[in-house]
Amino acid sequence: MTWLTEWAGYLPQMMSGLSVSLLIAGVSIVAGYPLGLILSVMVSAKNLAVRTLALAVVEIGRGAPALVILYLFYYGLPKFGIAFESITAACLALIWNSAAYSSEIMRAGIQSVGRGQLEASNALGLAQRHTFFRVVLPQGLRSAIPGLMGVAIQMFQGTSLAYAIAVPELMKSAYNIGSQDFNYLQIFTLAGLCYAAISMPATWITVFFEKRLARHA
Amino acid sequence: MTLSEIADGKLAPRLGIKLDNISKRYGDNTVLDDVSLHVEPGTVTALIGPSGAGKSTFLRCINLLERPDSGTIQVDQHTIEPGKDVNSRDLAALRRTVGMVFQSFNLFPHMSALKNISFPQQKVLGRSKDEADERSMQLLERVGLKEKAHQHPGRCSGGQQQRIAIARALALDPSIMLFDEPTSALDPEVGLEVLAVMRELAADGMTMIVVTHEMQFARDVSDTLVVMADCRIIEQGDPRAIMSDPQEARTRRFLRAVLER
Repeated sequence: MTWLTEWAGYLPQMMSGLSVSLLIAGVSIVAGYPLGLILSVMVSAKNLAVRTLALAVVEIGRGAPALVILYLFYYGLPKFGIAFESITAACLALIWNSAAYSSEIMRAGIQSVGRGQLEASNALGLAQRHTFFRVVLPQGLRSAIPGLMGVAIQMFQGTSLAYAIAVPELMKSAYNIGSQDFNYLQIFTLAGLCYAAISMPATWITVFFEKRLARHA
Repeated sequence: MTLSEIADGKLAPRLGIKLDNISKRYGDNTVLDDVSLHVEPGTVTALIGPSGAGKSTFLRCINLLERPDSGTIQVDQHTIEPGKDVNSRDLAALRRTVGMVFQSFNLFPHMSALKNISFPQQKVLGRSKDEADERSMQLLERVGLKEKAHQHPGRCSGGQQQRIAIARALALDPSIMLFDEPTSALDPEVGLEVLAVMRELAADGMTMIVVTHEMQFARDVSDTLVVMADCRIIEQGDPRAIMSDPQEARTRRFLRAVLER
Protein backbone atom coordinates (compact mmCIF):
# COMPACT_ATOMS: atom_id res chain seq x y z
CA MET A 1 0.00 0.00 0.00
CA THR A 2 2.89 2.34 0.65
CA TRP A 3 3.62 2.50 -3.10
CA LEU A 4 0.10 3.65 -3.83
CA THR A 5 0.19 6.41 -1.22
CA GLU A 6 3.60 7.53 -2.46
CA TRP A 7 2.35 7.53 -6.05
CA ALA A 8 -0.65 9.59 -5.01
CA GLY A 9 1.73 12.18 -3.61
CA TYR A 10 3.83 12.23 -6.82
CA LEU A 11 0.90 12.42 -9.20
CA PRO A 12 0.38 16.21 -9.43
CA GLN A 13 3.99 16.78 -10.49
CA MET A 14 3.87 13.76 -12.80
CA MET A 15 0.70 15.06 -14.43
CA SER A 16 2.31 18.36 -15.29
CA GLY A 17 5.20 16.41 -16.83
CA LEU A 18 2.77 14.22 -18.74
CA SER A 19 0.97 17.26 -20.09
CA VAL A 20 4.26 18.62 -21.44
CA SER A 21 5.00 15.23 -23.04
CA LEU A 22 1.55 15.17 -24.64
CA LEU A 23 2.03 18.75 -25.86
CA ILE A 24 5.34 17.89 -27.56
CA ALA A 25 3.87 14.74 -29.08
CA GLY A 26 0.80 16.66 -30.28
CA VAL A 27 2.88 19.40 -31.89
CA SER A 28 5.21 16.93 -33.58
CA ILE A 29 2.23 15.05 -35.05
CA VAL A 30 0.08 18.03 -36.02
CA ALA A 31 3.01 19.76 -37.72
CA GLY A 32 4.93 16.65 -38.76
CA TYR A 33 2.21 14.80 -40.68
CA PRO A 34 1.35 17.61 -43.10
CA LEU A 35 5.09 18.05 -43.71
CA GLY A 36 5.32 14.29 -44.19
CA LEU A 37 2.58 14.45 -46.81
CA ILE A 38 4.42 17.21 -48.68
CA LEU A 39 7.66 15.20 -48.49
CA SER A 40 5.92 12.05 -49.74
CA VAL A 41 4.77 13.94 -52.83
CA MET A 42 8.15 15.62 -53.33
CA VAL A 43 9.95 12.28 -53.13
CA SER A 44 8.09 11.11 -56.24
CA ALA A 45 8.46 14.45 -58.07
CA LYS A 46 9.81 14.54 -61.61
CA ASN A 47 12.25 17.34 -60.79
CA LEU A 48 15.56 15.83 -59.69
CA ALA A 49 16.50 18.68 -57.31
CA VAL A 50 13.14 18.52 -55.54
CA ARG A 51 13.36 14.74 -55.29
CA THR A 52 16.92 14.79 -53.95
CA LEU A 53 16.13 17.44 -51.35
CA ALA A 54 13.07 15.56 -50.11
CA LEU A 55 14.93 12.27 -50.05
CA ALA A 56 17.74 13.82 -47.98
CA VAL A 57 15.27 15.25 -45.46
CA VAL A 58 13.46 11.92 -45.16
CA GLU A 59 16.56 9.76 -44.96
CA ILE A 60 18.28 11.95 -42.36
CA GLY A 61 15.08 12.07 -40.32
CA ARG A 62 14.80 8.29 -40.38
CA GLY A 63 18.45 7.43 -40.38
CA ALA A 64 19.75 9.58 -37.53
CA PRO A 65 18.60 8.80 -33.99
CA ALA A 66 16.12 11.40 -32.78
CA LEU A 67 18.47 12.21 -29.92
CA VAL A 68 21.20 13.24 -32.35
CA ILE A 69 18.85 15.61 -34.15
CA LEU A 70 17.64 16.90 -30.81
CA TYR A 71 21.20 17.72 -29.73
CA LEU A 72 21.99 19.30 -33.08
CA PHE A 73 19.02 21.64 -32.74
CA TYR A 74 19.69 22.48 -29.11
CA TYR A 75 23.48 22.48 -28.81
CA GLY A 76 24.57 22.69 -32.45
CA LEU A 77 22.54 25.50 -33.98
CA PRO A 78 23.57 28.21 -31.47
CA LYS A 79 26.92 28.09 -33.25
CA PHE A 80 25.12 29.76 -36.19
CA GLY A 81 23.43 32.20 -33.85
CA ILE A 82 20.18 30.23 -33.83
CA ALA A 83 19.20 29.40 -30.28
CA PHE A 84 15.97 27.72 -29.24
CA GLU A 85 14.34 27.17 -25.91
CA SER A 86 14.71 23.55 -24.94
CA ILE A 87 11.04 22.75 -25.56
CA THR A 88 11.13 24.40 -29.00
CA ALA A 89 14.23 22.44 -29.94
CA ALA A 90 12.52 19.23 -28.79
CA CYS A 91 9.44 19.99 -30.86
CA LEU A 92 11.46 20.81 -33.99
CA ALA A 93 13.54 17.65 -33.74
CA LEU A 94 10.50 15.46 -33.24
CA ILE A 95 8.61 17.23 -36.05
CA TRP A 96 11.45 16.27 -38.37
CA ASN A 97 11.34 12.72 -37.04
CA SER A 98 7.58 12.35 -37.45
CA ALA A 99 7.59 14.03 -40.88
CA ALA A 100 10.26 11.60 -42.09
CA TYR A 101 8.54 8.46 -40.81
CA SER A 102 5.02 9.51 -41.75
CA SER A 103 6.10 10.49 -45.28
CA GLU A 104 7.24 6.94 -46.01
CA ILE A 105 3.96 5.51 -44.70
CA MET A 106 1.92 7.96 -46.75
CA ARG A 107 4.00 7.31 -49.84
CA ALA A 108 3.37 3.58 -49.50
CA GLY A 109 -0.36 4.27 -49.03
CA ILE A 110 -0.51 6.47 -52.10
CA GLN A 111 1.34 3.91 -54.18
CA SER A 112 -1.03 1.18 -53.05
CA VAL A 113 -3.97 2.85 -54.83
CA GLY A 114 -4.82 0.66 -57.81
CA ARG A 115 -3.88 1.53 -61.38
CA GLY A 116 -7.53 1.16 -62.34
CA GLN A 117 -8.38 4.22 -60.28
CA LEU A 118 -5.92 6.34 -62.26
CA GLU A 119 -7.14 4.90 -65.53
CA ALA A 120 -10.75 5.65 -64.66
CA SER A 121 -9.82 9.23 -63.71
CA ASN A 122 -7.86 9.68 -66.90
CA ALA A 123 -10.60 8.19 -69.06
CA LEU A 124 -13.12 10.55 -67.44
CA GLY A 125 -10.83 13.45 -68.33
CA LEU A 126 -10.27 14.57 -64.75
CA ALA A 127 -7.39 17.02 -64.32
CA GLN A 128 -4.22 15.77 -62.61
CA ARG A 129 -4.88 17.73 -59.45
CA HIS A 130 -8.42 16.43 -59.11
CA THR A 131 -7.18 12.92 -59.72
CA PHE A 132 -4.55 13.28 -57.04
CA PHE A 133 -6.43 15.18 -54.35
CA ARG A 134 -9.87 13.68 -54.77
CA VAL A 135 -9.26 10.15 -56.01
CA VAL A 136 -5.77 8.95 -55.07
CA LEU A 137 -5.03 10.81 -51.85
CA PRO A 138 -8.21 9.96 -49.90
CA GLN A 139 -7.75 6.27 -50.66
CA GLY A 140 -4.00 6.29 -50.03
CA LEU A 141 -4.28 8.10 -46.71
CA ARG A 142 -7.04 5.77 -45.61
CA SER A 143 -4.81 2.77 -45.96
CA ALA A 144 -2.03 4.70 -44.21
CA ILE A 145 -4.10 5.40 -41.08
CA PRO A 146 -2.98 2.39 -38.99
CA GLY A 147 0.69 3.07 -39.78
CA LEU A 148 0.29 6.75 -38.96
CA MET A 149 -1.32 5.92 -35.64
CA GLY A 150 1.64 3.66 -34.90
CA VAL A 151 4.05 6.52 -35.60
CA ALA A 152 1.98 8.75 -33.32
CA ILE A 153 2.49 6.32 -30.43
CA GLN A 154 6.17 6.14 -31.27
CA MET A 155 6.34 9.94 -31.22
CA PHE A 156 4.70 10.08 -27.79
CA GLN A 157 7.25 7.66 -26.40
CA GLY A 158 10.00 9.57 -28.21
CA THR A 159 9.18 12.69 -26.21
CA SER A 160 11.09 11.09 -23.33
CA LEU A 161 14.27 12.00 -25.25
CA ALA A 162 13.54 15.64 -24.50
CA TYR A 163 14.63 14.81 -20.97
CA ALA A 164 18.18 14.96 -22.28
CA ILE A 165 17.89 18.70 -22.89
CA ALA A 166 16.07 19.39 -19.62
CA VAL A 167 12.55 19.84 -20.99
CA PRO A 168 10.21 19.46 -17.97
CA GLU A 169 8.38 16.48 -19.49
CA LEU A 170 7.34 13.24 -17.82
CA MET A 171 10.80 11.67 -17.51
CA LYS A 172 12.26 14.89 -16.17
CA SER A 173 9.50 15.14 -13.55
CA ALA A 174 10.13 11.55 -12.54
CA TYR A 175 13.85 12.11 -12.26
CA ASN A 176 13.40 15.24 -10.17
CA ILE A 177 11.09 13.47 -7.75
CA GLY A 178 13.40 10.49 -7.60
CA SER A 179 16.45 12.56 -6.78
CA GLN A 180 14.65 14.11 -3.80
CA ASP A 181 14.11 10.94 -1.78
CA PHE A 182 15.82 8.28 -3.90
CA ASN A 183 12.63 6.24 -4.51
CA TYR A 184 13.75 5.57 -8.06
CA LEU A 185 12.07 2.21 -8.32
CA GLN A 186 8.65 3.55 -7.40
CA ILE A 187 8.89 6.72 -9.43
CA PHE A 188 10.17 5.17 -12.66
CA THR A 189 7.58 2.40 -12.37
CA LEU A 190 4.97 5.13 -12.14
CA ALA A 191 6.51 6.90 -15.13
CA GLY A 192 6.35 3.67 -17.14
CA LEU A 193 2.72 3.22 -16.18
CA CYS A 194 1.94 6.78 -17.28
CA TYR A 195 3.45 6.11 -20.73
CA ALA A 196 1.63 2.80 -20.93
CA ALA A 197 -1.66 4.40 -19.86
CA ILE A 198 -1.57 6.50 -23.03
CA SER A 199 0.20 4.12 -25.43
CA MET A 200 -1.79 0.97 -24.75
CA PRO A 201 -5.28 2.38 -25.37
CA ALA A 202 -3.85 4.11 -28.44
CA THR A 203 -2.61 0.73 -29.68
CA TRP A 204 -6.04 -0.80 -29.12
CA ILE A 205 -7.63 2.02 -31.11
CA THR A 206 -5.10 1.38 -33.89
CA VAL A 207 -5.98 -2.31 -33.98
CA PHE A 208 -9.67 -1.42 -34.04
CA PHE A 209 -9.09 0.86 -37.02
CA GLU A 210 -7.02 -1.78 -38.80
CA LYS A 211 -9.86 -4.24 -38.48
CA ARG A 212 -12.44 -1.74 -39.60
CA LEU A 213 -10.41 -0.77 -42.66
CA ALA A 214 -9.79 -4.41 -43.52
CA ARG A 215 -13.53 -5.00 -43.44
CA HIS A 216 -14.27 -2.18 -45.88
CA ALA A 217 -11.37 -2.95 -48.19
CA MET B 1 -37.07 9.21 -71.85
CA THR B 2 -34.57 6.91 -73.53
CA LEU B 3 -31.07 6.34 -72.33
CA SER B 4 -29.53 8.30 -75.17
CA GLU B 5 -31.87 11.23 -74.67
CA ILE B 6 -30.60 11.36 -71.15
CA ALA B 7 -27.11 10.70 -72.36
CA ASP B 8 -27.23 13.71 -74.63
CA GLY B 9 -29.11 16.10 -72.46
CA LYS B 10 -26.87 18.72 -74.05
CA LEU B 11 -27.28 16.91 -77.37
CA ALA B 12 -23.85 15.42 -77.73
CA PRO B 13 -23.39 15.00 -81.48
CA ARG B 14 -23.29 11.46 -82.84
CA LEU B 15 -19.73 10.98 -83.98
CA GLY B 16 -17.74 8.24 -85.59
CA ILE B 17 -14.05 7.62 -85.17
CA LYS B 18 -11.26 6.73 -87.57
CA LEU B 19 -8.18 4.92 -86.42
CA ASP B 20 -5.44 4.46 -88.97
CA ASN B 21 -2.20 2.48 -88.88
CA ILE B 22 -2.08 2.14 -85.12
CA SER B 23 1.06 0.32 -83.94
CA LYS B 24 2.22 -0.37 -80.43
CA ARG B 25 5.32 -2.13 -79.14
CA TYR B 26 6.61 -2.86 -75.67
CA GLY B 27 10.33 -3.12 -76.21
CA ASP B 28 10.79 -5.81 -78.86
CA ASN B 29 7.32 -7.17 -78.28
CA THR B 30 4.77 -5.97 -80.86
CA VAL B 31 1.23 -5.78 -79.48
CA LEU B 32 -0.48 -3.91 -82.30
CA ASP B 33 0.75 -4.16 -85.84
CA ASP B 34 -0.62 -1.46 -88.15
CA VAL B 35 -4.27 -1.72 -87.11
CA SER B 36 -6.89 0.46 -88.84
CA LEU B 37 -10.56 0.70 -87.99
CA HIS B 38 -13.25 3.12 -89.12
CA VAL B 39 -16.39 3.32 -87.03
CA GLU B 40 -19.48 5.06 -88.44
CA PRO B 41 -21.55 7.33 -86.21
CA GLY B 42 -24.30 5.51 -84.34
CA THR B 43 -22.97 2.00 -84.98
CA VAL B 44 -21.90 -0.75 -82.65
CA THR B 45 -18.59 -2.48 -83.30
CA ALA B 46 -17.78 -5.69 -81.45
CA LEU B 47 -14.12 -6.66 -81.10
CA ILE B 48 -13.58 -10.36 -80.56
CA GLY B 49 -10.62 -12.69 -80.72
CA PRO B 50 -8.37 -14.90 -78.65
CA SER B 51 -6.71 -13.44 -75.58
CA GLY B 52 -3.41 -11.79 -76.32
CA ALA B 53 -4.69 -10.67 -79.70
CA GLY B 54 -4.41 -7.00 -78.69
CA LYS B 55 -8.13 -6.20 -78.42
CA SER B 56 -7.95 -4.43 -75.07
CA THR B 57 -4.73 -2.65 -75.94
CA PHE B 58 -6.31 -1.41 -79.16
CA LEU B 59 -9.38 -0.17 -77.29
CA ARG B 60 -7.20 1.57 -74.74
CA CYS B 61 -5.24 3.24 -77.53
CA ILE B 62 -8.45 4.93 -78.69
CA ASN B 63 -8.61 7.25 -75.66
CA LEU B 64 -4.85 7.16 -75.18
CA LEU B 65 -4.80 5.21 -71.93
CA GLU B 66 -2.12 3.41 -73.93
CA ARG B 67 0.00 5.63 -76.13
CA PRO B 68 0.45 4.05 -79.57
CA ASP B 69 3.89 4.42 -81.15
CA SER B 70 2.42 5.51 -84.45
CA GLY B 71 -0.84 6.03 -86.30
CA THR B 72 -3.61 8.63 -86.34
CA ILE B 73 -6.87 8.99 -84.47
CA GLN B 74 -9.57 11.12 -86.03
CA VAL B 75 -12.68 12.20 -84.15
CA ASP B 76 -14.92 15.03 -85.25
CA GLN B 77 -12.55 17.74 -86.53
CA HIS B 78 -9.66 16.58 -84.39
CA THR B 79 -6.75 14.55 -85.70
CA ILE B 80 -4.36 13.21 -83.12
CA GLU B 81 -1.01 11.64 -83.89
CA PRO B 82 -0.15 9.82 -80.69
CA GLY B 83 3.38 9.01 -81.87
CA LYS B 84 4.15 12.73 -81.64
CA ASP B 85 3.47 15.12 -78.81
CA VAL B 86 -0.20 15.33 -77.99
CA ASN B 87 -1.15 18.68 -76.50
CA SER B 88 -3.32 18.64 -73.43
CA ARG B 89 -6.20 20.43 -75.18
CA ASP B 90 -6.50 17.68 -77.78
CA LEU B 91 -6.21 15.01 -75.13
CA ALA B 92 -8.92 16.65 -73.03
CA ALA B 93 -11.17 16.99 -76.08
CA LEU B 94 -10.64 13.35 -77.00
CA ARG B 95 -11.44 12.11 -73.53
CA ARG B 96 -14.52 14.32 -73.33
CA THR B 97 -15.81 12.81 -76.54
CA VAL B 98 -15.02 9.23 -75.63
CA GLY B 99 -16.40 7.48 -72.54
CA MET B 100 -15.02 4.22 -71.21
CA VAL B 101 -16.27 1.29 -69.17
CA PHE B 102 -13.75 -1.12 -67.64
CA GLN B 103 -13.79 -4.83 -66.90
CA SER B 104 -13.10 -4.12 -63.22
CA PHE B 105 -15.58 -1.17 -63.03
CA ASN B 106 -13.02 1.11 -61.34
CA LEU B 107 -15.60 3.06 -59.40
CA PHE B 108 -14.16 5.35 -56.73
CA PRO B 109 -14.64 3.26 -53.56
CA HIS B 110 -14.60 6.23 -51.18
CA MET B 111 -17.52 7.98 -52.90
CA SER B 112 -21.22 7.10 -52.97
CA ALA B 113 -22.74 5.98 -56.26
CA LEU B 114 -24.23 9.45 -56.70
CA LYS B 115 -20.91 11.15 -55.98
CA ASN B 116 -19.11 8.82 -58.38
CA ILE B 117 -21.36 10.10 -61.16
CA SER B 118 -21.64 13.74 -60.08
CA PHE B 119 -18.02 14.48 -59.16
CA PRO B 120 -16.61 14.13 -62.72
CA GLN B 121 -19.47 16.23 -64.12
CA GLN B 122 -18.63 19.03 -61.70
CA LYS B 123 -14.90 18.91 -62.39
CA VAL B 124 -14.83 18.14 -66.11
CA LEU B 125 -17.95 19.91 -67.35
CA GLY B 126 -18.18 22.55 -64.62
CA ARG B 127 -21.76 21.68 -63.73
CA SER B 128 -23.08 22.86 -60.38
CA LYS B 129 -23.61 20.24 -57.71
CA ASP B 130 -27.39 20.45 -58.12
CA GLU B 131 -27.26 20.14 -61.91
CA ALA B 132 -24.85 17.24 -61.66
CA ASP B 133 -26.86 15.43 -58.98
CA GLU B 134 -30.08 15.85 -60.93
CA ARG B 135 -28.46 14.35 -64.01
CA SER B 136 -26.89 11.55 -61.96
CA MET B 137 -30.25 10.64 -60.47
CA GLN B 138 -31.83 10.50 -63.94
CA LEU B 139 -29.12 8.14 -65.11
CA LEU B 140 -29.24 6.02 -61.96
CA GLU B 141 -32.98 5.67 -62.38
CA ARG B 142 -32.51 4.71 -65.99
CA VAL B 143 -30.04 1.93 -65.16
CA GLY B 144 -32.43 0.81 -62.41
CA LEU B 145 -30.35 1.82 -59.40
CA LYS B 146 -31.97 4.94 -58.02
CA GLU B 147 -32.21 3.33 -54.58
CA LYS B 148 -28.43 2.76 -54.57
CA ALA B 149 -27.60 6.47 -54.97
CA HIS B 150 -26.27 6.91 -51.47
CA GLN B 151 -24.56 3.53 -51.13
CA HIS B 152 -20.84 3.12 -51.61
CA PRO B 153 -19.69 0.79 -54.40
CA GLY B 154 -18.54 -1.79 -51.86
CA ARG B 155 -22.19 -2.28 -50.95
CA CYS B 156 -23.26 -2.96 -54.52
CA SER B 157 -23.05 -6.19 -56.50
CA GLY B 158 -20.71 -6.41 -59.48
CA GLY B 159 -23.56 -5.94 -61.93
CA GLN B 160 -24.79 -2.91 -60.05
CA GLN B 161 -21.29 -1.44 -59.92
CA GLN B 162 -20.88 -1.86 -63.65
CA ARG B 163 -24.22 -0.14 -64.31
CA ILE B 164 -23.14 2.73 -62.05
CA ALA B 165 -19.87 2.90 -64.01
CA ILE B 166 -21.84 3.11 -67.27
CA ALA B 167 -23.95 5.92 -65.80
CA ARG B 168 -20.77 7.70 -64.70
CA ALA B 169 -19.38 7.62 -68.23
CA LEU B 170 -22.70 8.65 -69.82
CA ALA B 171 -23.05 11.61 -67.48
CA LEU B 172 -20.24 13.39 -69.34
CA ASP B 173 -22.20 13.31 -72.62
CA PRO B 174 -19.76 11.20 -74.63
CA SER B 175 -20.37 10.74 -78.33
CA ILE B 176 -18.59 7.40 -78.36
CA MET B 177 -18.51 4.70 -75.69
CA LEU B 178 -15.75 2.12 -75.26
CA PHE B 179 -16.45 -1.08 -73.34
CA ASP B 180 -13.50 -3.23 -72.26
CA GLU B 181 -14.93 -6.69 -71.51
CA PRO B 182 -17.68 -5.14 -69.39
CA THR B 183 -19.19 -8.45 -68.31
CA SER B 184 -16.05 -10.60 -67.95
CA ALA B 185 -15.76 -10.06 -64.21
CA LEU B 186 -19.43 -10.85 -63.62
CA ASP B 187 -21.50 -13.97 -63.06
CA PRO B 188 -23.33 -14.87 -66.28
CA GLU B 189 -26.71 -13.99 -64.80
CA VAL B 190 -25.53 -10.68 -63.40
CA GLY B 191 -23.87 -9.89 -66.71
CA LEU B 192 -27.32 -9.88 -68.30
CA GLU B 193 -28.29 -6.71 -66.38
CA VAL B 194 -25.30 -4.96 -67.86
CA LEU B 195 -25.89 -6.30 -71.36
CA ALA B 196 -29.50 -5.11 -71.16
CA VAL B 197 -28.33 -1.56 -70.46
CA MET B 198 -25.84 -1.80 -73.34
CA ARG B 199 -28.48 -3.10 -75.73
CA GLU B 200 -30.67 -0.16 -74.86
CA LEU B 201 -27.81 2.25 -75.38
CA ALA B 202 -27.10 0.67 -78.78
CA ALA B 203 -30.78 0.86 -79.75
CA ASP B 204 -30.72 4.56 -78.92
CA GLY B 205 -27.95 5.07 -81.44
CA MET B 206 -24.84 5.48 -79.31
CA THR B 207 -21.59 4.86 -81.16
CA MET B 208 -20.05 1.92 -79.30
CA ILE B 209 -16.89 -0.15 -79.53
CA VAL B 210 -17.10 -3.26 -77.37
CA VAL B 211 -14.37 -5.76 -76.59
CA THR B 212 -16.30 -8.84 -75.58
CA HIS B 213 -16.50 -12.57 -75.24
CA GLU B 214 -20.32 -12.44 -75.33
CA MET B 215 -20.91 -13.94 -78.77
CA GLN B 216 -24.68 -13.65 -78.55
CA PHE B 217 -24.37 -9.95 -77.86
CA ALA B 218 -21.83 -9.52 -80.64
CA ARG B 219 -24.13 -11.28 -83.11
CA ASP B 220 -27.40 -9.64 -82.13
CA VAL B 221 -26.38 -6.12 -81.25
CA SER B 222 -23.29 -5.19 -83.22
CA ASP B 223 -23.36 -3.73 -86.72
CA THR B 224 -19.75 -4.64 -87.40
CA LEU B 225 -17.84 -7.60 -86.06
CA VAL B 226 -14.08 -7.22 -85.92
CA VAL B 227 -11.93 -10.29 -85.33
CA MET B 228 -8.44 -9.67 -83.99
CA ALA B 229 -5.65 -12.20 -83.70
CA ASP B 230 -1.88 -11.92 -83.46
CA CYS B 231 -1.78 -8.14 -83.04
CA ARG B 232 -3.91 -7.34 -86.11
CA ILE B 233 -7.43 -7.31 -87.46
CA ILE B 234 -7.86 -10.49 -89.49
CA GLU B 235 -11.46 -10.16 -90.51
CA GLN B 236 -14.30 -7.66 -90.23
CA GLY B 237 -17.82 -7.25 -91.51
CA ASP B 238 -21.41 -8.28 -90.87
CA PRO B 239 -21.49 -10.29 -87.63
CA ARG B 240 -23.95 -12.92 -88.84
CA ALA B 241 -22.03 -13.47 -92.07
CA ILE B 242 -18.71 -13.88 -90.27
CA MET B 243 -20.13 -16.15 -87.62
CA SER B 244 -21.84 -18.44 -90.08
CA ASP B 245 -19.17 -18.34 -92.75
CA PRO B 246 -15.77 -17.09 -91.56
CA GLN B 247 -13.26 -16.46 -94.33
CA GLU B 248 -10.11 -16.96 -92.30
CA ALA B 249 -8.97 -20.25 -90.84
CA ARG B 250 -7.90 -18.46 -87.64
CA THR B 251 -11.41 -16.97 -87.26
CA ARG B 252 -12.95 -20.39 -87.85
CA ARG B 253 -10.80 -21.93 -85.17
CA PHE B 254 -11.60 -19.19 -82.67
CA LEU B 255 -15.34 -19.26 -83.35
CA ARG B 256 -15.43 -23.02 -83.04
CA ALA B 257 -13.77 -22.72 -79.66
CA VAL B 258 -16.22 -20.15 -78.31
CA LEU B 259 -19.45 -21.22 -80.03
CA GLU B 260 -19.23 -24.99 -79.82
CA ARG B 261 -18.26 -25.47 -76.24
